[in-house]
Amino acid sequence: QEREELFFRALCLCHTVQVKDDDSVDGLKKNRLSRRSCIYISSSPDEVALVEGIQRLGYTYLRLKDNFMEILNRENNIEKFELLEVLSFDSVRRRMSVIVKSSTGDIFLFCKGADSSIFPRVKEGKIDQIRSRVERNAVEGLRTLCVAYKKLTAEEYSKAQKLLQNAKLALQDREKKLAEVYEKIERDFILLGATAVEDRLQEKAADTIEALQKAGIKVWVLTGDKMETAAATCYACKLFRRNTQILELTTKKIEEQSLHDVLFDLSKTVLRHSGSLTRDTFSGLSTDMQDYGLIIDGAALSLIMKPRQDGSSGNYRELFLEICRNCSAVLCCRMAPLQKAQIVKLIKLSKEHPITLAIGDGANDVSMILEAHVGIGIIGKEGRQAARNSDYAIPKFKHLKKMLLVHGHFYYVRISELVQYFFYKNVCFIFPQFLYQFFCGFSQQTLYDTAYLTLYNISFTSLPILLYGLMEQHVSADTLKREPSLYRDVAKNALLRWRAFIYWTFLGVFDAVVFFFGAYFLFENTIVTSNGQMFGNWTFGTLVFTVLVFTVTLKLALDTHYWTWINHFMIWGSLVFYIIFSLLWGGIIWPFLNYQRMYYVFMQMLSSGPAWLGIILLITVSLLPDVIKKVLCRQLWPTATERIQTKHQCLSVEQSTIFMLSQTSSSLSF
Amino acid sequence: QIDYTGTEPSSPCNKCLNVSWDSPTPCTCTINFTLEHSFESNVFMYYGLSNFYQNHRRYVKSRDDSQLNGDNSSLLNPSKECEPYRTNEDKPIAPCGAIANSMFNDTLELYRIDNDTRIPITLIKKGIAWWTDKNVKFRNPTGDGNNLTALFQGTTKPVNWRKPVYMLDSEADNNGFINEDFIVWMRTAALPTFRKLYRLIERKDNLAPTLQAGKYSLDIAYNYPVHSFDGRKRMILSTISWMGGKNPFLGIAYITVGSICFFLGVVLLIIHHKYGNRNTSADIPN
Repeated sequence: QEREELFFRALCLCHTVQVKDDDSVDGLKKNRLSRRSCIYISSSPDEVALVEGIQRLGYTYLRLKDNFMEILNRENNIEKFELLEVLSFDSVRRRMSVIVKSSTGDIFLFCKGADSSIFPRVKEGKIDQIRSRVERNAVEGLRTLCVAYKKLTAEEYSKAQKLLQNAKLALQDREKKLAEVYEKIERDFILLGATAVEDRLQEKAADTIEALQKAGIKVWVLTGDKMETAAATCYACKLFRRNTQILELTTKKIEEQSLHDVLFDLSKTVLRHSGSLTRDTFSGLSTDMQDYGLIIDGAALSLIMKPRQDGSSGNYRELFLEICRNCSAVLCCRMAPLQKAQIVKLIKLSKEHPITLAIGDGANDVSMILEAHVGIGIIGKEGRQAARNSDYAIPKFKHLKKMLLVHGHFYYVRISELVQYFFYKNVCFIFPQFLYQFFCGFSQQTLYDTAYLTLYNISFTSLPILLYGLMEQHVSADTLKREPSLYRDVAKNALLRWRAFIYWTFLGVFDAVVFFFGAYFLFENTIVTSNGQMFGNWTFGTLVFTVLVFTVTLKLALDTHYWTWINHFMIWGSLVFYIIFSLLWGGIIWPFLNYQRMYYVFMQMLSSGPAWLGIILLITVSLLPDVIKKVLCRQLWPTATERIQTKHQCLSVEQSTIFMLSQTSSSLSF
Repeated sequence: QIDYTGTEPSSPCNKCLNVSWDSPTPCTCTINFTLEHSFESNVFMYYGLSNFYQNHRRYVKSRDDSQLNGDNSSLLNPSKECEPYRTNEDKPIAPCGAIANSMFNDTLELYRIDNDTRIPITLIKKGIAWWTDKNVKFRNPTGDGNNLTALFQGTTKPVNWRKPVYMLDSEADNNGFINEDFIVWMRTAALPTFRKLYRLIERKDNLAPTLQAGKYSLDIAYNYPVHSFDGRKRMILSTISWMGGKNPFLGIAYITVGSICFFLGVVLLIIHHKYGNRNTSADIPN
């Protein structure tokens, strides 16, 4: 009975929760306060849950005033405990303690922590009962904590206090000294009981994880919880499915066999099936293929990562990565925060150099978020630490799905097209100039007038691609959300690989050759006007330039899947602007220019029949290979994306939307 | 096309090959040729040059458009781009620049040989330059009086010219900067082998062809030396349609591209028919 009372008091006292007084003037609020529902704030929502839970059992934590913690007990009396010391929580020893002096003068040390750190230090109490209860809770997926206490005499306390003081004021190795002191103080407990907190999965977490796996993204869970809790959570969120075979690389197994043997066994099991697997078919959803899931805990990981004297640690890491590569999901439990970052680093440096994304919501996820290529913080109950250190912050886990599969996909397609198109249009632009040098005595005579040279990239071809980069949706957003497997088409930087780049460059060179030599043969040794007058070199250059501008703009028009009124306006508007500019530039003797070589050149060029025919012909010929390639590839070897695109009506005018994601800046303070 | 450079010893113009540009008496030569078919509509006479890089950068830069536009201040103070053909003996050169300096000055005359009589063919020298060039871009310097000699006071002729610019032609509206031969020369050609319009031969009446088939002779006043840089000179007679001169490239190109497109259309239609049907019923594989 006494132990029960102590248990409740322990839970009420052993925490770092603060009470927020509601200072509102509103009369209603004051009434509410009198009903004693205070607002608790803590860095860990677990602690808040525990304190609120104890409140329901009758013991309310009121406030911390002048170093006295006040509790309201079941008989509605206020008990005061003097708070002497707080041995705060750290993730290495996984427990926290408080030393309090009750009003009767007894000094208590209350300790609360993970069962693995409490049980070794307990010397009496209902150990077995509590242990089995804890395990049952863990299997159900609840987060378990154990509570223990120790009564201190006055001398024990003063000794402890002195040690603590020395350690706290130490100038060197403060953490080590503190850890030693904690170790000395926290021992010989009497077990009081255990608690369980249900950490509900965020809504649609299972859906998100399933979608990500379908998209070909490997999902690993790194957690500090114990193995049973974490495994239960994983089953709940569909990371492990019913037919997933679980492989364990835990401390238990390593105690039975050596690390070496365990690793080899696992790799043999996994690699038996790996021969028939290709990376693309690895969605793990087909029922005839065996699906593996790996569970590893922090201790095992540190064994793998530890550098061996004989230098064979490289093999362990390689072996471990090999196993992981063939599993559809990996669960790492009992992870210290630094170990989370370690694993991320390990994967980053592995053979294929994958792009890693880390998402977390607590302060213990910060190191992992900083280490990964993309770090995402969830603004949640555990405070803003994760969000502050992240690249992107989202309010809920389910938003990750749309962020990756829709926005990420869109941005990737847009950026890859932007980069390729820029190189392409500049190759088309400069290569004819290069070819012209062969015909002008290598004297660096420009093919185009300086106004054209300057404005090509600024006004004639810049706006269409800019709008493309903002607005293109090659497949509609709903379809992308519905079909996560479309993400595989852009996996591993598919659109910016060497092959794609060489294709675009080849297209650029081909087009440039067509432009230049088309115009060359048109002009060579003939007259193209109807009145017999000749064309000079500026007319030649203007012809090439006109074909160039029209071709690159029409190429972009061919690549655009999502036509909005802005696209139409920009593309056709750019072309119209080019024509108007050329007419104006050549139409007037501009007084500020010291040369008048472009005077009337454009109009003269347009007055010649063959010039028109040549322009149309050259544009068609340069766009022909790309059109053929697109049509052939779509018919014969369509990718999944293209198959969806064919179902979509073409050239319908869509609604224009611009999605904007802003990056968090770490200097923002909340 | 008649090449009259005269490099071969058998050519009548061989004697003129090494004539220098400033010899007092021009070297003349005559080349006889035969027209197989008669030329029906208006005939255009061109001179063509090969291996002459009018598109060289330093060459193209070397002109002063404001001087050629009739600006009086530029007349006496030509732009720096014209160096080294800017001044001669401290007098500004009008027109300045290398383009003007290298103006083509051969004279070509065409005669029809009809039973041993040479009938001269009237060559029209107006209408060979762009209308906008002659009337807007190139203007003589303004001043009072129509005496061009007075207007060009204070300037000197380009170094390699025989006559100064105001003595290019007796007619007032083809003299000075607005001389059409000069304007045609100033429009720099795009490629090293080019042709420029020299004269027009107009059709007299609708019954007789402009140039009948038969023997002709070309009288050349060989002033322009091209042998030193292995250039070649030729005279070209051509008729023009709305599409310009004889240009096989466009025709061949259109036919080729058209047939390729047609062929591809057929091929892709077959492919679409064969493979296209499976798309409409395909599900997205997982």
